[in-house]
Amino acid sequence: MENNGVKNRGTRFLFFQVSKIFLIRKELCFFLFIQPFFFSAFAQTAVTGSVSDSKGTAISGVTITTKGGTKGVNTDAKGQFSITVADLKGSLVFTHVGFKVQEIALGNKNEINVMLDEDPSKLDEVVVIGYGKQSRELLTTSVSKLDTKNLENVSYTNVSQALQGALPGVRVQTTSGEPGAASRVIVRGGTSINNPNGAAPLYIVDGVFKDGGLTDINANDIESLQVLKDAASTAIYGARGSNGVVIVTTKSGRSGRTSFTYSYGLTGSKPGKVVEYASARDYIQYNRLGTVAAAVKNAALLSRNTQAGGSGTGNNLTNATAYTTMYLTPDNQFKLSQGWESMPDPLDPTKTIIFKDTKFSDLIYQNALTQEHNFSASGGTDKATFNAALGYLASDGTVISTKYKRLSFNLNGSIKLRSNIVINGRLLYTNRSNSSLASYANILYRGASLPGTAKYAFEDSTLAPGQSQSIGNPDYFLKGQYALQGNTNVEGTTMVVGGRWDIIPGLSFEPQISLFRANSDLYRFQPAALLNGVGAVVTTRASSASYSKTTQYQADGVLTYAKSIADNHHLEVKAGISYYSKNLMSQSAAGQGAATDNIPTLNAAAQPTAVSGQISDLRIAGLFSRIDYDYKEKYLLSLNYRYDGASNLGSSNKFGSFPGISAGWNLHKEKFWDQLFPRNLLTFKIRGSYGINGNISGLGDFQALGNYSVGSQYSSNAAVLTSVLPNADLSWEKSKTIDVGFDAGLFDRRVSFIFDYYRRTTDDLLTTVSLPASSGYSTVFTNLGSLENTGYEMAVDVKILPPSSKVQWSLSLNAAKVESQIQKLPANGVDKNRIGGVYVWDPATAGYAWLGGLQEGGRVGDMYAYKLTGVYATDADAVKGPVDNIVNTANKTKYGGDAMWADIDKNNIIDSRDQVYVGNPYPKWTGGISSYLSYKDLSLFVRADYTVGATVYNYPAVFADGQLQGDALPTKRFIDNMWKKQGDIANTPRYVWQNQTGNIRPNNTYYEKGDFLAIREITLAYSLPKPLISKIRASNVNLNLTGSNLHYFTAYTGQVPDDGGQDNGHYPIPVNLTFAIRVTF
Amino acid sequence: MKKSLIYFIMLSTLLQVSCKKSIEVEPTSLLTSGTFWKSESDAIGALNGMYVSLRTVAVQNLFILGEARAQTMAQALAGTVGLDIFYLNSLDVDNISVNWTGLYKTIDEANLILKYVPNITITTAGSKNNILAQAYTTRAYAYFVMARSWGGVPLRTEPTEGYDPMSIQIARSTVDEVMALVKADLEKAIPLYPTNNFATGRNTWTKAGANALKADVFLWTGKLMKGGTADFQAALAATEEVQKADVSLLPNFNDIFSYDNKGNKEVIMASRFQVLESDNNIYQYMYLNASNNPSNITQATKDVIGVIGSGNAGNSIMQVAAPIRNQFMASDKRRAATFYEIFSTTNVLITTITGAKGTGTVQAGVRHFKNDIMLYRYADVLLMKAEAKNALGMDPATEMNLVRARAYGSEPGHTFVNGSKADNDNAILRERLLELTSEGKRWWDVRRFGKVFELVPSMQANAGKDYMLLFPIGNAIRSLEPKVVENPGWAP
Repeated sequence: MENNGVKNRGTRFLFFQVSKIFLIRKELCFFLFIQPFFFSAFAQTAVTGSVSDSKGTAISGVTITTKGGTKGVNTDAKGQFSITVADLKGSLVFTHVGFKVQEIALGNKNEINVMLDEDPSKLDEVVVIGYGKQSRELLTTSVSKLDTKNLENVSYTNVSQALQGALPGVRVQTTSGEPGAASRVIVRGGTSINNPNGAAPLYIVDGVFKDGGLTDINANDIESLQVLKDAASTAIYGARGSNGVVIVTTKSGRSGRTSFTYSYGLTGSKPGKVVEYASARDYIQYNRLGTVAAAVKNAALLSRNTQAGGSGTGNNLTNATAYTTMYLTPDNQFKLSQGWESMPDPLDPTKTIIFKDTKFSDLIYQNALTQEHNFSASGGTDKATFNAALGYLASDGTVISTKYKRLSFNLNGSIKLRSNIVINGRLLYTNRSNSSLASYANILYRGASLPGTAKYAFEDSTLAPGQSQSIGNPDYFLKGQYALQGNTNVEGTTMVVGGRWDIIPGLSFEPQISLFRANSDLYRFQPAALLNGVGAVVTTRASSASYSKTTQYQADGVLTYAKSIADNHHLEVKAGISYYSKNLMSQSAAGQGAATDNIPTLNAAAQPTAVSGQISDLRIAGLFSRIDYDYKEKYLLSLNYRYDGASNLGSSNKFGSFPGISAGWNLHKEKFWDQLFPRNLLTFKIRGSYGINGNISGLGDFQALGNYSVGSQYSSNAAVLTSVLPNADLSWEKSKTIDVGFDAGLFDRRVSFIFDYYRRTTDDLLTTVSLPASSGYSTVFTNLGSLENTGYEMAVDVKILPPSSKVQWSLSLNAAKVESQIQKLPANGVDKNRIGGVYVWDPATAGYAWLGGLQEGGRVGDMYAYKLTGVYATDADAVKGPVDNIVNTANKTKYGGDAMWADIDKNNIIDSRDQVYVGNPYPKWTGGISSYLSYKDLSLFVRADYTVGATVYNYPAVFADGQLQGDALPTKRFIDNMWKKQGDIANTPRYVWQNQTGNIRPNNTYYEKGDFLAIREITLAYSLPKPLISKIRASNVNLNLTGSNLHYFTAYTGQVPDDGGQDNGHYPIPVNLTFAIRVTF
Repeated sequence: MKKSLIYFIMLSTLLQVSCKKSIEVEPTSLLTSGTFWKSESDAIGALNGMYVSLRTVAVQNLFILGEARAQTMAQALAGTVGLDIFYLNSLDVDNISVNWTGLYKTIDEANLILKYVPNITITTAGSKNNILAQAYTTRAYAYFVMARSWGGVPLRTEPTEGYDPMSIQIARSTVDEVMALVKADLEKAIPLYPTNNFATGRNTWTKAGANALKADVFLWTGKLMKGGTADFQAALAATEEVQKADVSLLPNFNDIFSYDNKGNKEVIMASRFQVLESDNNIYQYMYLNASNNPSNITQATKDVIGVIGSGNAGNSIMQVAAPIRNQFMASDKRRAATFYEIFSTTNVLITTITGAKGTGTVQAGVRHFKNDIMLYRYADVLLMKAEAKNALGMDPATEMNLVRARAYGSEPGHTFVNGSKADNDNAILRERLLELTSEGKRWWDVRRFGKVFELVPSMQANAGKDYMLLFPIGNAIRSLEPKVVENPGWAP
């Protein structure tokens, strides 16, 4: 019955009942009895029209919704649309990626043609929030959205890397350049007192909780990524929201013309910054002298110079010695014509030492290639849409033997069953496999400091192992027949079925059921090899395999009621349930004693050595609701509430409540504003929020119950040991956050400014507390004290040139500062309720005090070490210095070239109390800057990020400079700068073999500033002219050239400055050059 | 429109019906405090766990506490892994790297057994008593080690089962209180052992083991804590009790330590080390690894060395010090078991490595330093008996000569003849050195005989600093145990 576009459907009855939605074990829970009810539909009017861009080109896939309503349609291939509205007095809202959101009042017209302005201001963007979407104009909480330009050009093996420096208040640290390695993401400093680097946010991809973060996501599948930061926005995720929430939406089909896109990227990578080590010649020279210097206090060491060591002359040409250092004899003279070098023995210049210099640290690295293919097809009608994307990426790492491969699918479709019922289905699948380094330490700084005098190959041209597996020849232990074999395979599948039922205008129900399954398997096999260096071949042939499976069910139902009253009051109310169940099952086995190297799998192992298995469950159930209200978009109010329960909490604290409230005021919508400022000069919103949310991350599934560990044996009998202290009082960690901020736009929003100040107090921190050793336990997991994080965040976006300019240039920068302070610790009868710490001279109180550790008013992570004030120029100077009790030989004499340590307490004795504060591992400032310049079809995108305030303990340098492992090659920097002879004025002490308690003890010179500015990406992109590509019927062909991780400006002398605290060997961040082409048909 | 609001409220109310059972799950793969301590097998598992904890202490700490400071050891070819502070006696509150963590873990496990096992139904009373006896003996042993090391320590006789920030901290008791507990535990343990038999492997406490420990305890309190004659008599009686069990001296000294001869008749109580089951123990620091493997040595020497160790497991960190080595006569069969001297082809001494006491076993090209750590063996008990007899004015010749006869065979000139009390003590102490070097006893011995400042070179200059006889507790422990005060003298 159609009449002038007016549909009159009459009345319809509907009966609906759902029962037994969730059947859990034997209990029947979450009964969902929606009793029969009735409703009637209303008279409706159709509005039609078309949408185009500023050049008049039709835009397909534009979403059109009625203002205040939730129902939407999309434009078709010709940019045409048709939407039914309740009446012609309201407005329509047009949204499309890459365009400004536009709102058009119908004014009684039933046909409208709309032109969308491109590139919306930051202040007009639409952000996804918990269980919904909101325009930033109406947003009252703190949410940052990723600029998708960050995702487009680099072949990310882990998309978390794309976030570095991109979101204010989100600290993203890429600590490993290994392909596939996840970056650390910490929102607003995290809420952890014992492991601030472990305070990962909650990740939600298409509504599904993902414990693994973004590891399984192909960057090309991401439609949008936003981070909810304050408690009011995360309260709706209740128990798990306090470390922030990362919400990812993947690409879906849009109604309109079907499009195919194929893209290919080829990346060449070279190793990033690699530490330079001393030459073999310098090593022999100074290690022999340094051994003599050490022998002054322990004469036995002298024999090292004649043994078969790195600089000892006891080596020969047989396979029985690992090094090439030896005296020249008629028998070995021929080696000099085979690339060996010679030098006079510094201990006896009448003798000649010959050696071969192999740069083992260079052997670790390689130039590598990454290839990426992505194919996607998407399209649909106003009844159904689909999207199918396939991605493949294969990447070789810049450390030999490391590899990564990923195959990903993103399939989804949606169909409108009735005019008011939409059903959608979604499948995300990833299969990735990788070969990674078994130990970063063994390869990246121990192996790297294998003295260059080590044999690369024996005389029979078989490979030589170096010193041993833990400081060995990289080619022996990573490549070829002796290398550890193995592979890790991970498969992740997410299946989602959801829908939307517009029950009556304004009221809708959106259920979603999902299954996420992750399987991972790996095996390892060590062939027979010289694992312990020259000598006996180790034929243990250790072999292991493991399998784990995570199954996660999730069910959510959200009921939304939206209503506009008299065009002034806009109200949206949501209520929902969420149920989450995760099961982990894993098994592993190990064996040894295979007769052959030919079978790397467990079946060949003659002797089983270990088995292990685990089944573990976690369940979380919650009820939530939100009310959003605004009056004429001037006064904004939002209330959030969640009630959550989790199975892993202590029996007395299973459930908790998490409310949030936020409000905002768009001053520029007031009449008085127009009188104060010319129109569009300045827009200004102030907003504030307060909320309480929780955190249970880090809490084991059954931690509260305590645990006795099994699996060990005594005299072949099974043993049970205490391991985890039970704690029935374990409860949520509770964060209370106040956030105030403003969003300002200048010059018609060509400049946008978003600022936030927050104070988050986290009480009942879920923390591992060190216990007195005499308790029999080292730690207990408990709720402990409170931590306060305060910070500022700002993001500025500037469109430097006017919209009319042919050249467009926009600049974005963001900065965030966070400071943490421990507010309260449980009373334990100690000053400031301190736990741990070091006993040192405190200059502040001019007395001895326990500093560091955890104490009220203090910070987490403060590091203390000795302070180098200089180097004694001569022996005569040295004897005048204070007694150094840290030198633990009986003879504590100091000589010229020895370190001068600051005598902080001025008692003329150097002891542990003379340590000083040398830094903190956690950065204070993080942020980034990006610039986008375009002219016609050409564009240039540059982004950089920076971190300030973190300190890194350069342990790899200590290991090398202190020869912590017998024969270890010092860094070139050490040799270049060290004191060498009486009278030298130097800032680096002399070379004494293995002088770790003397000159190379932990001290301020090895606690280096980790501040850096990284040129993360430069992309030059070009779109081929349309006339040219229309011949191949393509609608778009883009070419780009991208350099990524191009340069770090940093004073840190180690390989990667991104990670504060002790550097335990970092895979250098590779420098990449990518060429990519993207063709759209 | 009001209607839809009503629907919304009605629907959302109905949606939000949940029951708390929806989030209840039971652990599958875990033993929790709620599910453990129900059956005999639980008790036996926990008993084995207690020995695993004791073994963790035996890996290194029993040696460090019991011998490392007595200067039987010296640096070898490699670095020191921080152990030099012990043989150089350059300890302080900051560098002290040995603490009571492992001993208290062992005590906690004993305390759990003592709390829960009495309530478990166990097939025979004998086996229940046997378990309880072993827990008492273990606790006594651990406190005895601590009392000798640190003096008075916090006394914990109840297991730790929860966390309360205030009550979890405990101050130190006096050394008398600790030794009183040790004796009381032994008095409870010994009668609880159902028989005087050894368990297979001789790596768990038995009546004989408890009696050996008792002899050790009473000699200590007799000599150092004014126990006097009564204590020596108790010690003597305890050694006689040990002799009633199935123990004997093995004819061949090396056989006592052989990896393939664990649990032999000389062993009274040893902590079991086994490939695939335990770490390498202290002897791993008395061998050679790739970076410290002498090259200019004869093939015969190489053959003795055999497979070297891997990484630090087999590093040349310590060797028996020259002044100690020099006290072994060439004919002493204990010499080769204690150390082996590596000479260069030009006959220069390069270093020494452990002998049979610590060479472990070689499997698939890997050397495992997994000799059992002897807590008590028969020769030790014989010498304790000699010591008790001498303290009581009796002739210790029988025991001394049993030990010497095995060491020197029929070689003349080694027969012990009763002399003055002081001379006898000197002879007994020296015999203990030759018999037990590198077995983790020497520091206790020189302490007990009151000869630290006389016999330990690095302590001679410290004469008068009696506080040095105890170990410092150290800042690492004290930063976590604020109620624990440092041993006077060590405090900075």
